[in-house]
Amino acid sequence: MKYSEAELLAVLLSREVRDGEISACGALSQIPAAGLLLARELHAPNAEILILRSAFDPFHTSRQFHFLAQRGEMGLFFVSGVQIDRHGNYNLHQLGPDPERPKARFPGGYGGGMIYYAARRTVVFRTEHTRRSLVERVDFVSAAGATPPDVLRRGHPSKMVTPKATFRFDKNAAVFKLDTIHPPWTLDDIRANTGFELDVKGAIPATPAPTEEELHVLRHVIRRRMIDTGTYAAWAERSLGN
Amino acid sequence: MGVPYVPVLGLVGTDLLKRRDDMVIAVDPFDGKTKTVVAKAMRPDVAVFHAQKADRHGNVSCGYEAEVVILAEASRHVIVTAETIVDRLSEKEATGAFIPGIHVDTIAHAPFGAHPAGCAGLYSPDKAHMAEYVAASQDDAIFTEYLRACVFDVKDHDEYVERFVPRHWREPTRAVGADSTRTESA
Repeated sequence: MKYSEAELLAVLLSREVRDGEISACGALSQIPAAGLLLARELHAPNAEILILRSAFDPFHTSRQFHFLAQRGEMGLFFVSGVQIDRHGNYNLHQLGPDPERPKARFPGGYGGGMIYYAARRTVVFRTEHTRRSLVERVDFVSAAGATPPDVLRRGHPSKMVTPKATFRFDKNAAVFKLDTIHPPWTLDDIRANTGFELDVKGAIPATPAPTEEELHVLRHVIRRRMIDTGTYAAWAERSLGN
Repeated sequence: MGVPYVPVLGLVGTDLLKRRDDMVIAVDPFDGKTKTVVAKAMRPDVAVFHAQKADRHGNVSCGYEAEVVILAEASRHVIVTAETIVDRLSEKEATGAFIPGIHVDTIAHAPFGAHPAGCAGLYSPDKAHMAEYVAASQDDAIFTEYLRACVFDVKDHDEYVERFVPRHWREPTRAVGADSTRTESA
């Protein structure tokens, strides 16, 4: 079965959601939103899902969201960044070697740097797998992968998902390690398009492709639900099932 | 909240933290060992915001996003503009978040006071004006001109409403509360 990159990412993100946990994504997060809804429809019917600034947002203030995370009640959070590095840092702020004269500025934000410590797992995703987006060191650390000694931390980055591969975060070494490759991409493709050393030992398994059921539910049930609830409706109409 | 500081789990190791002198890493005073960030309280001198309803005693009903409650509690002085001012607003009839008058210094009647942003439950953002604002903000000279036309050269709020709030929004048939769509910002 054929599928788009957006559909692939939504399916891969949905597989990270665990039943019974609270899983969330921020604003401007159409792919994680689709993934969260898909998970609840398929393998995680008792997952609480939280899509900020949508019909699936129970909160009236960011204070409520902040303290839910601080209390350690959030099982999973989805984020993206303009750059992601091998050490689990991501950058949502600015690009360029000189922090005082950035070449480009992005929305930034405080929430990600907080939630990265507070949610039990954070899955970082990126819609572009290139040497400019996956780098050895980000230009600006918006959220930090490694933790200095004695600093209280409840959770860590757990995975990184791109249109070509998935990476697993090794907590002890504090680095992302290549986990699976999405066919038809090969290890050489990943190496050519990744801006950091992969440090691969042995064969890397293929990512299990989206199943017919996953794609069917995403394209029909979830697409309809996103349109009916005004949850990234225009995106769902355009990107799912076409 | 107004407490001296608040501990925050997270942010350690970010460049954000390096650039802020109001957030530092501190040792937990209870276990004498574990570290977290502590953020210094903000104590604004004056807070100004717009609400759906206020009364003569300074009680305010504001929603849907109730962030302004924290703002009102933390600030030394609070000025509120409101779509409607009533004689006495009970906590029960406040549809949004309730801010007791004890926090509020001054209220002023300002219909469409959130324009070009929206006011939850009453009107949505003025998309055409917002697009104009966003386009203008990309260039200093154009933005200066926007400010001159929409702010500095406008005599008072009545003139602003007359000139910039779409006419059909102001027709009397459009009863307050008739449009129940949740707006994007308050």
